[in-house]
Amino acid sequence: MSTVPSAGQAGALYWPVQARRNVGVRGLFAVVLAFLFAYGFLFPGLLTASGFAKFTQSWFPLALVAMAQAILMLTGGISLAIGAMVSLGAVIAATTMTGPLGVAGGAAAVALTGLGIGAATGFIVVRLRLPAIVVTLAGSFIIGGAALLILPRPGGAIPEWLSDLLAGNTPAAFVVLVLIVLLWKLYLATPLGLSLYAAGENPVGAYRSGVPVDGARIAAYAISGLLSTGAGLFVAAQTGSGDPVIGAAFTLNSIAAAVLGGIGFLGGQGTMRGALAGSLLLSLMISVMFFLGFTPVAQYVAQGLIIIGAVAIPQFRKVQQ
Amino acid sequence: MTAWKDSAYGRRALTILRSRPFLTVAIVAAVWIAASFASRGFGAYGHLRYLVELGAVIGLVAAGQTFVVIAGGIDLSVAAIVTVSAVSLPLLSWQADPTGVTGILAVLVLTTAIGLVNGLGVALLRVHPMIMTLAMATFLQGLLIIIAGGSAVTAENPVVRWLGNARPAGIPAGVLLWVLVSVIVLTTMHATSFGARIFAMGANSLAAALSGVPVTSTTLAVYGISGFTSGLAGVLVLGMNGQGYVGIGDPYLLASIAAVVLGGTSILGGLGTYAGTIPGAILLVTITALITVVNASPGWRSVMFGSLILGLLLLSGREQARR
Repeated sequence: MSTVPSAGQAGALYWPVQARRNVGVRGLFAVVLAFLFAYGFLFPGLLTASGFAKFTQSWFPLALVAMAQAILMLTGGISLAIGAMVSLGAVIAATTMTGPLGVAGGAAAVALTGLGIGAATGFIVVRLRLPAIVVTLAGSFIIGGAALLILPRPGGAIPEWLSDLLAGNTPAAFVVLVLIVLLWKLYLATPLGLSLYAAGENPVGAYRSGVPVDGARIAAYAISGLLSTGAGLFVAAQTGSGDPVIGAAFTLNSIAAAVLGGIGFLGGQGTMRGALAGSLLLSLMISVMFFLGFTPVAQYVAQGLIIIGAVAIPQFRKVQQ
Repeated sequence: MTAWKDSAYGRRALTILRSRPFLTVAIVAAVWIAASFASRGFGAYGHLRYLVELGAVIGLVAAGQTFVVIAGGIDLSVAAIVTVSAVSLPLLSWQADPTGVTGILAVLVLTTAIGLVNGLGVALLRVHPMIMTLAMATFLQGLLIIIAGGSAVTAENPVVRWLGNARPAGIPAGVLLWVLVSVIVLTTMHATSFGARIFAMGANSLAAALSGVPVTSTTLAVYGISGFTSGLAGVLVLGMNGQGYVGIGDPYLLASIAAVVLGGTSILGGLGTYAGTIPGAILLVTITALITVVNASPGWRSVMFGSLILGLLLLSGREQARR
């Protein structure tokens, strides 16, 4: 006789399950904490309100694109168009928000563009069965070209109060990030969210068990698009204007952050908290190297080495066991 | 039923007609015919020869990429390797050797070594190919700024200049090089045990390992080949341009992957042929040439390039349904 766990039992199970999902990323959390302490020790300004605000603001866009990449990788997909999406979000925000649409209209335009392009990409990959790498690589040309068409050279403007609110001395970015994480938790509780891991881990098995595999994957692409253009809006608010190529670096960094966070390429492996920790680690590394006066050359070299090391070492341990 | 379909020759002909490389050749032919009606100079022999000459660079980069993709990996560092090759050639050229052959050999050894390091990371450290090669590209980007410092370098090497400009018997030397490489690649891929091992590894790496395929050394070889052909492409592009600069290889990343996929090779590995990549490379150059003819702004050009590749993929690059 099998018994269905009652609500009370299910609640009691929740925390042990969550704790078990931490197992894979415990080492990463320790490294991030160590880096945070080192950073706070080197630059005591981190502990003041404005220092904390600035720090979270430099992390925020990377955290968003890491989530955007992670949600795709969890379903077994990938996007090489994240950087172009960030650029597109930035130029749309910079050209609409001071116009007749206003801030609300501009934000809506950014969100709708992200959702729409993401859903279209998802449709092409999932329904027309084209490889995600190639579709998003070609897509990055289309989206980047669209960004150039909207704003051929850096320009446009973001209302000053919005820049002050998002990128001023308030921890607004951190609050938004916490909200997004809470929304992610809610999404995981919906049928589509539950299907996410199943669709990535074993698509055929999931399909045969009645999981809406295609729907879950297309929804993941749409959400990923929304997060990417949202990151673009924030970057535009940070700089006060739009730049059609500002997002270029985010493609590699989003993949690096997700992989540092333990997200697997084959789908269904990893957790969002890992991806967030990965993005935090990457962001810390970049700012520590910047403050220590590394030249851009040394930063490239060090970043390449650290990423390979961080990915290779856990694999080594697995092999030895 | 008609008799010809049942004869051996008929079946053979049907297989060729239905194959993906043939489809790609047909698309190239259709585009060329349509374009030469639409635009006057397009169909001229000189212009088509020029297109194939440009296609040679993509074809060389895509040769290594085809090996890697069939083996179940991907090489995102090819653009950086092309740049390394083009930029470091003048630095590695000996004064004592007037022919410049040693310089080219040194560059090819260097780029093959870079490829082997990629292979080491993938095979021994078990880093995912995408991460390993992307990190390698980042690493090389830093290295390039040290080597070149942002300024353009000029090729004084006579062999390189010959390769980029000479036309023995009316055929560009670069195209001859491409033909030579194509013959070697196709033979290696389809007529040696090494080639068979690559397909086995790409189809199912675990099964291949259990059947006695030396997975580690084969992976090393595949990435080494990719480094070698990218280095060769860098030498050719330096000869054609006359100058090398940081970023000269950038267009060849998307181009090499697109040529491989347009040619019918599965990005998931284990299935494909370089015979499809060759027309794939020519197709890509043709698209770029057509877009240049239209004379649009950079934004539109980028949008058109991406859309055309996507459209062509819908024609020829679809993966099989999994259920």
